[in-house]
Amino acid sequence: MPASAATDLGEVSDIDLVKRSQAGDTRAFDMLVTKYRGRIYAMTYHLIQNETEAWDLAQEAFIKAWRALPNFKLDAGFYTWLYRIAHNVTYDWLRKRKIQGDGEFDDERTEHRVAAGAEATPKGDPAPDMALRNAELGHRIQAAIAKLSPEHRQVIVLREVEGLAYEEIAALVPCSLGTVMSRLFYARKKLQEQLKDVYETTL
Amino acid sequence: MKPPSEEHDLIRWLDGEMDETERAAFEARIKANPALAQEAEEMRALSAGIRAHLPAEMAVPHADFFNSQIQVRIGQMEIDEARRREAVAPVLGSLLSWLRQSWLTAAGAVAVAVVAFLSLRPSSEDAHSLILSSYTPSAGVQTVTFHDDNADATVLMLDGLEEVPADRKISGISISRSETEPEMASTTLFDAAGSPQLVIFRDAAGNPQFWASKPRG
Repeated sequence: MPASAATDLGEVSDIDLVKRSQAGDTRAFDMLVTKYRGRIYAMTYHLIQNETEAWDLAQEAFIKAWRALPNFKLDAGFYTWLYRIAHNVTYDWLRKRKIQGDGEFDDERTEHRVAAGAEATPKGDPAPDMALRNAELGHRIQAAIAKLSPEHRQVIVLREVEGLAYEEIAALVPCSLGTVMSRLFYARKKLQEQLKDVYETTL
Repeated sequence: MKPPSEEHDLIRWLDGEMDETERAAFEARIKANPALAQEAEEMRALSAGIRAHLPAEMAVPHADFFNSQIQVRIGQMEIDEARRREAVAPVLGSLLSWLRQSWLTAAGAVAVAVVAFLSLRPSSEDAHSLILSSYTPSAGVQTVTFHDDNADATVLMLDGLEEVPADRKISGISISRSETEPEMASTTLFDAAGSPQLVIFRDAAGNPQFWASKPRG
């Protein structure tokens, strides 16, 4: 992406870019891709926990969005609409994996997995390097999330990363509000169990 | 295990989904219950940790390639679509005009016989198809099927149709079914020279597809 185009991103509204894209302007769509690829990729990555497949799924989401653009109503937010497409693409992938028996994720599938034998900093031992400790904690959290079932991982990502309200999560999944709350509760309990040693030192 | 309402209260408080009254009541419960207070604090710490370490936006690896691949795929889709429209339009036009011929309407739309293949069973002794029943919309048209050993083909004859003019571009229809994929059937329309003009079939996903030959210049 040329520097001039990148500069344009903040100056051109989504509505203008969407209108131009709907008229067949692929450069305008390219600007939308550049604007939102980081957020869409983060969502697919957090759900999939695999860099290559998350990359492919994010790309597939944009392709599907291009195909569906003629039906996009300008009264809705483009990112919300795009996010829903990306979520559906990713969750369909997860469902197929589950049907094929690969539903649960393990450490081998986590690219940013924790090094063998890595544990939380021992109790009472002051961390010599806060940045390193912080990075290690991040890896522990990602590994723990990767071990959740797709349903639990989904609500955690939607709530904690995307900051969606319960009603928005229920509409997106889709499921009842009660199911959203139950999944969030049990997902957090499972994470707590996996990260107990981390939080014993942190608290 | 806690009752669901208590679990829901805890995470609703954690996620800021309670109104003021509910929140005040729940925080009073936390103050009065050390175990609940500890669980609430642990969950809040976990939630903060997740938010701190799972970014909502990430750098896309090979970002320029990511964009360029999308552009390539969009371009390819548009080329494919243009080719499909270009290839189909003339043949479909001629097919529709063929179907609108007066001889056809005068015959009460009996020119096309609909054959129901209830079962096509390859026999171990002779591998020809067995047509169990057939249907034509007009009582004046009869279907006769038989296996031609010389041609090694199952022949479907429609008796009672008005004569189809010999100069029609499309003069023959065959229906075939894959031997390896029994659900895969195709219908082929041929011109007077025996060249396929239009093939209607289903793809691997079961979606109807058609292939049309390029119009002759």
